[in-house]
Amino acid sequence: MSVSRANRLQLLLVMAVLVLLHFYLRPRLGSARVSPDFLLIALVFFAMRAGPGAGALAGFTVGVVTDALTPAAFGAGALAHTLVGYLAAWGRAVFFADNLLVNAAFVAVALWVRDLVLLVASGTPQDRLLVELLLQSPLQALSTAVFAVLVLAAFRQWFAIRLDA
Amino acid sequence: MISASERSYTRRDTVLFLACLGLSVVALFSPASWGYGISDALRNSVLAPLVWLQARAEEGRTSRARLRAITVQRDSAAYLAQGIPSLLAENERLRQLLTLSHRISTPYVAAEVLHQAQATDGRTLLIDVGRRDLVSEFDPVVAPEGLIGMVLTAAERSSVVMTWAHPEFRVSAYTMGGNASGVVAPSLASLTGEGALEFRGVPYRDSVPVGTRVLSSGLGGVYPKGIPVGTVTGVVREQAGWERIYRLLPAANPGAVAHVLVLVSPPGASMERAFPSDSALLAMRLDSIARVRQADSVAAAKAAEKAAAEQAAAEKAAARKAAAEKAAAQKAAAQKAAAQKAAAEKAAAEKAAAERAAAEKAGRVSPATPAPPTPADSTP
Repeated sequence: MSVSRANRLQLLLVMAVLVLLHFYLRPRLGSARVSPDFLLIALVFFAMRAGPGAGALAGFTVGVVTDALTPAAFGAGALAHTLVGYLAAWGRAVFFADNLLVNAAFVAVALWVRDLVLLVASGTPQDRLLVELLLQSPLQALSTAVFAVLVLAAFRQWFAIRLDA
Repeated sequence: MISASERSYTRRDTVLFLACLGLSVVALFSPASWGYGISDALRNSVLAPLVWLQARAEEGRTSRARLRAITVQRDSAAYLAQGIPSLLAENERLRQLLTLSHRISTPYVAAEVLHQAQATDGRTLLIDVGRRDLVSEFDPVVAPEGLIGMVLTAAERSSVVMTWAHPEFRVSAYTMGGNASGVVAPSLASLTGEGALEFRGVPYRDSVPVGTRVLSSGLGGVYPKGIPVGTVTGVVREQAGWERIYRLLPAANPGAVAHVLVLVSPPGASMERAFPSDSALLAMRLDSIARVRQADSVAAAKAAEKAAAEQAAAEKAAARKAAAEKAAAQKAAAQKAAAQKAAAEKAAAEKAAAERAAAEKAGRVSPATPAPPTPADSTP
């Protein structure tokens, strides 16, 4: 088995674990709006290593999944996650994010941007938008970033990044 | 895998991004029914295992709390069971007093809420029951605290609920006292109204005090009557002296609810009997009053008949007694008269005997004079 294929399988395994955690662990963690968004972690990590096109496609897929489960405004999730997937790959290319905290910050910013696009695209009233973006989203971004650090620390060999933080 | 930092952007990346972006925009501006259809199809196919997994996780999370609640309910039920017969009797008596007919029990399905990480979670909820459990579109969804919303789309094993936080939510409602009615909608106006409801369309003359509970009225055919919607916390605004809009504190919080009840309606069944409208209630009351009056008149007639019979029997007994007394008196009088007659005859016989003895003594007694009869001869 080549190194590239092994890395790809390892990455897919981590993605699968994150998906399972999203649907099996997250409901047990309490408030849904504050508990980590494992799907977003998987999307950001995948996009940062797979490139903009694949990242956008993965984001669109994750968005359609979330829209199917929360069809308040179908398409808003797909739009938000597509942008996040594309921007995550672009940001990785620009910032050379091999630092642990930079990766965590990527995840946190990605979640906040995702919520911003999602709320705007779904026609959320301004007051609700402010509450979500200033209170709920930062809390969820923080918890998601913390868990992203744990994932990176646990699988740093598989992700092949330099964790010099 | 090639690191993103080491690769250059290709035309393929741009095309993929634009295609995904275009599809997302098309999905966003497509009719809502398309979105719901795609969502249902996805949840029934590729997402079914994930939804099942999340439902099991929700069950696991809430099982401990439910066990505790069930234990408390069991203890309470055991305590209350001691007074159930008297409570049932009292309930029945009160129903009769209020002339209410027995309501049928509304069928419902208990469901777990599968909260999502999306910021829009709360406007719509995903629940783990669907058409397989007889859930269908427009079925009301309630929590123990009050109204949550209604079923928007129902798939085979899951459903999407439109909560009161959804911009399109409306429910016809009235105050608990019945002095005001209107339409409840989510508050979208001000920062202070965040997470609140508005009670709209209340006539200006109908003042609703703070703290008044607002219930669903049953009008509209979706939500049954009597489900708590919220509590009045103040006036939002007044419209040119003809309408007041009140702010409501919602009775139930969709973002925090873990279990809900879906009031399902079996095919062909009507909820009208379970939650009758005002006119139907009035008709039932009038019918009950008429029946009670009829029953009262029949009972009064029976009582009068019984009293008359008792009176007749008493009169008959009195007449029989009087006749017996009269007969006894007549008999006593006859006996007395006979005794007097016998005494008189005895006295006459004694007198005659005395006279005869005196005549014999004087020598003037005629031998042909017969002797008077003795009292023993005249006794019957």
